Amino acid sequence: MAEVMVPIGPQHPALKEPVNFRIYVEGEKIVRLELDLSYNHRGIEKAAEERNFIRVLPLLERVCGICSHSHATAFVKGIEEIMGLEVPARGQYIRTIIAELERMHSHLLWLGVAAHEIGFNTLLMWTWRDREAVLDTLEEMSGNRVHYNMNEIGGVRLDLSEKQVEAAQQRLPVLEERIAQYVDMVSHQETMLLRFRGVGKLSKEEILKYGTVGPTARASGVDYDVRRDDPYLVYDEVPWNVVTDSSGDVYGRTKVRIGELSESLKIVRHCIENLPGGPIRVTSAPKAAPKGEILSRYEAPRGELAHFIRTNGTDKADRLDIRTPTLANWTSVAKALVNQNLADIPVIVAAIDPCLSCTSRMTVIDTGTMAQGSISWEELVRKCRARYGTEVQP
Amino acid sequence: MTGDPQSLSQRLATWARVKSPWVTVFNSGACNACDIEIIACLMPRFDVERFGILAKGSPRHADILIVTGAVTRKQASRLLRVWEQIPEPKYVIACGACGAGGGVFQGLYHVVGDVGTVIPVDMYVAGCPPRPDEIINAVVACLNLMKEDLAQGGKEWRRKAGDTDRKETTPGTVAKDVRV
Amino acid sequence: MTAQLTMEQVSGALKEYGSAEQVRKNRIRVSTDTQKILSAIKAAQQFLDCDHLILISCTDDTGSFGLTYHLTGPHRTVISLAVAVPRESPQVFSVSDILPPAAIYERQIHDLFGIVFSGHPGLSKLMLNEDWPDGEYPLRKDWKPNKANSYGGAAQGGT
Repeated sequence: MAEVMVPIGPQHPALKEPVNFRIYVEGEKIVRLELDLSYNHRGIEKAAEERNFIRVLPLLERVCGICSHSHATAFVKGIEEIMGLEVPARGQYIRTIIAELERMHSHLLWLGVAAHEIGFNTLLMWTWRDREAVLDTLEEMSGNRVHYNMNEIGGVRLDLSEKQVEAAQQRLPVLEERIAQYVDMVSHQETMLLRFRGVGKLSKEEILKYGTVGPTARASGVDYDVRRDDPYLVYDEVPWNVVTDSSGDVYGRTKVRIGELSESLKIVRHCIENLPGGPIRVTSAPKAAPKGEILSRYEAPRGELAHFIRTNGTDKADRLDIRTPTLANWTSVAKALVNQNLADIPVIVAAIDPCLSCTSRMTVIDTGTMAQGSISWEELVRKCRARYGTEVQP
Repeated sequence: MTGDPQSLSQRLATWARVKSPWVTVFNSGACNACDIEIIACLMPRFDVERFGILAKGSPRHADILIVTGAVTRKQASRLLRVWEQIPEPKYVIACGACGAGGGVFQGLYHVVGDVGTVIPVDMYVAGCPPRPDEIINAVVACLNLMKEDLAQGGKEWRRKAGDTDRKETTPGTVAKDVRV
Repeated sequence: MTAQLTMEQVSGALKEYGSAEQVRKNRIRVSTDTQKILSAIKAAQQFLDCDHLILISCTDDTGSFGLTYHLTGPHRTVISLAVAVPRESPQVFSVSDILPPAAIYERQIHDLFGIVFSGHPGLSKLMLNEDWPDGEYPLRKDWKPNKANSYGGAAQGGT
C-alpha cells in the first residue's frame, strides 16, 4: 500500500504556534514525518550580542512568553557568576517563587491543552480557570501577567510586601485542593486513561539515545533534573522531590506534570513562609562583565534549558547560545509518532509541551526505512474503491 | 460592500455579522505571550463567547484575523496567504507591541517588520502582551468599526484626505521589496 | 545519580586528547583538536559514562570558530570538549552517528556559522527562511546585511 502525505500547518487549529508537519501515513498508521519549525526564528542570539545587559534582559524574556522567567534567570545567573556577584538571599528566594509559579502556570496550561487535544474540554476549562489564580499571584508580585521582568543583574527588581505574601498564601490552599483533584482524576478518569495510556511510548534507552529532557524524560524513568543535579537559586535549601514515572507514555508524562504541580506548590509555600529579610539586590552591580565563558543550566517547565554565555570585558555579551528544551525533544517526538494512529498526533506532539517560539528551528527527521512513493489522486481514489469493494467499472 | 445599506438583506447581514464574529489567530513570529492571552480570553474567567465571538481554526471561516507578533521572514508569505483566504469583509487586529511596531524585535535580521508592512491592519492593541480584557475590548471595538463600515459602504470613509503612507495592498506584491 | 567525576578520572580517561582543566565546580573542560573529536567523544561515552549531550555551542573567535561539546551523564558532571575550527576551511567531523541529538545542533551551526560537518546525513537549511541567500552566515562577527541582496520575506515562493 502506498504512503499518503498529510500536510499539517503552519497555520493549524491544534496548537496556537506555527509548525509544519508532513506526515506520511499508511492507512491510519504513521510511517514517518518531517517537521519544519523555524517560522518564529527572529535572530535573538545576534541581537543579544549588540545590546547591553540591561537591554538584553527584556529581549530574552521575549524569547518565549511562557517560560520568560526561565530565559532571563538562566542569563542573569550566568552573568552574575562571571562577575562574581553574590545575590542576597531574599532576591534568590523571590526568583525561586516566580520560577515555581511559572512552572505551575505552564503545567496547568499544558494539562488543559493536552485535555483539549483528546476532546476533554471540561478539563481545559478547569485548568485554565485555576491557572488564573497563579497568574493573579504573579501579576500582584510583578505587575504583569506574562512577562514578569523581575530579574536584574545582581538581584530582583521588586520586593514582596507583607500584603502580597498574605494574598499569595490565601490562594495556595485553593490551588492545593484543585491539584489534589487533578491527582485523583488522572488515576481513574476514563477519557484520560483511554486516550493517554500506551500512546507515544518511549523507552528509557530511547530517551537517552535521543537526548530528551524534562518531564518527557522523567516520565520514562530518566531521573534527570537540573534543579537537583546542578543546584541554582535556592533549590538545595528547599525540601522537594524529583517526580518520575516508569510508564514512558503520554499518561506517564501527565502524571509527572501533575506531580510537579504539587512539588512546585510545596516549594512556593516553603519560600513564602521562610522568606529571609534583607536587601533584594546588590547595591551596585557592575555594568561590564570580565572576560569569561559559562554554561548556565536551568530547569525550565519543559526541561533543561542551557545558555552558553561568553563575555569579553564589555557590557555586552560576546556570544549567547541558547539551547531550548523543545529543540532537544523534537527528535524523540518523531520517534514516538511512528506506528501511531493519525488521530493521536496532536496529543503526542502536545505531550512534550512544544514551545516553538523558543525553538524556532527546522529539522527533517527520517525515522522510517520505507522509501517514499508518490501517488496520484485518481490512483488513490481507485485504490480506496478497490479496497472497500466499491470499484466502479468504467 | 455593494448594495443599499438600508435594505433588509443588508441589515440582516450586518446584524448577523456583528452579533457573531468568528476570529482566527495567526502567530507571525510572536513569543507566545499574546497567543496564550488570546486563549485565556476563551476561558471561563473572561469568556469571550458570551459576546458571540468564536475562535476558529480555519481562516476561511473567519471574519477577524488577530495577528500576534512581529512578522518573521519565513512567516511573511504565509501571513499574506492566510489573509487572502479570509472572505470579505475582513478585519485585521495586530496584537501587542510587536504587531504594532516590531517591539523588541524591530531591526533583527530575520524580522521583516510589523504586521502593517505585510497586510493592512484595522486595529492595533497595545501592551506586551495586552491583557485579555484589552483584547476583548479590541475585538468589540472592531465590531463597532465593522458596523460603521457597513453603514458607510466600505472602509474608504476612514481614509483621511492626503493619507498616502499606507498604500492599498494588492496581494502578492507587498512584502516583495522588503530588504534588510 | 552517582558520585561526581574527579579531575583525575577525567584527565586519566581523556589524557591522549588534550589537557583537562577544572573550570568551576562540576565543570571540566578538555581542549582537543578537530581530528580527535570523534574519538574523544567515544572515549567520554565509554569510560566516563556520558550519555547526554547538553548542547554544542559555537563561537566566532575571529581567526577560528570555537566548538564546544557539553556532555554529561549519571555523575552529573559537565565535560566540555572544545575544538577550534580554522576559519579558512571550516570543516569538522559530524558526531551525529554516535550522538543522535547532535544532528539538529550541527545543522543549526551550519546555518548560522557556515561550518561544514562532514558525514552529516542531511546538512540542509535549518533555521533561516527558504530564500535566504547562500553563503551568508548571520552569526559570524563580520556579517553585515548586504543592501544589494534580498533576504526573503517575499510574498511569492515557499509553502
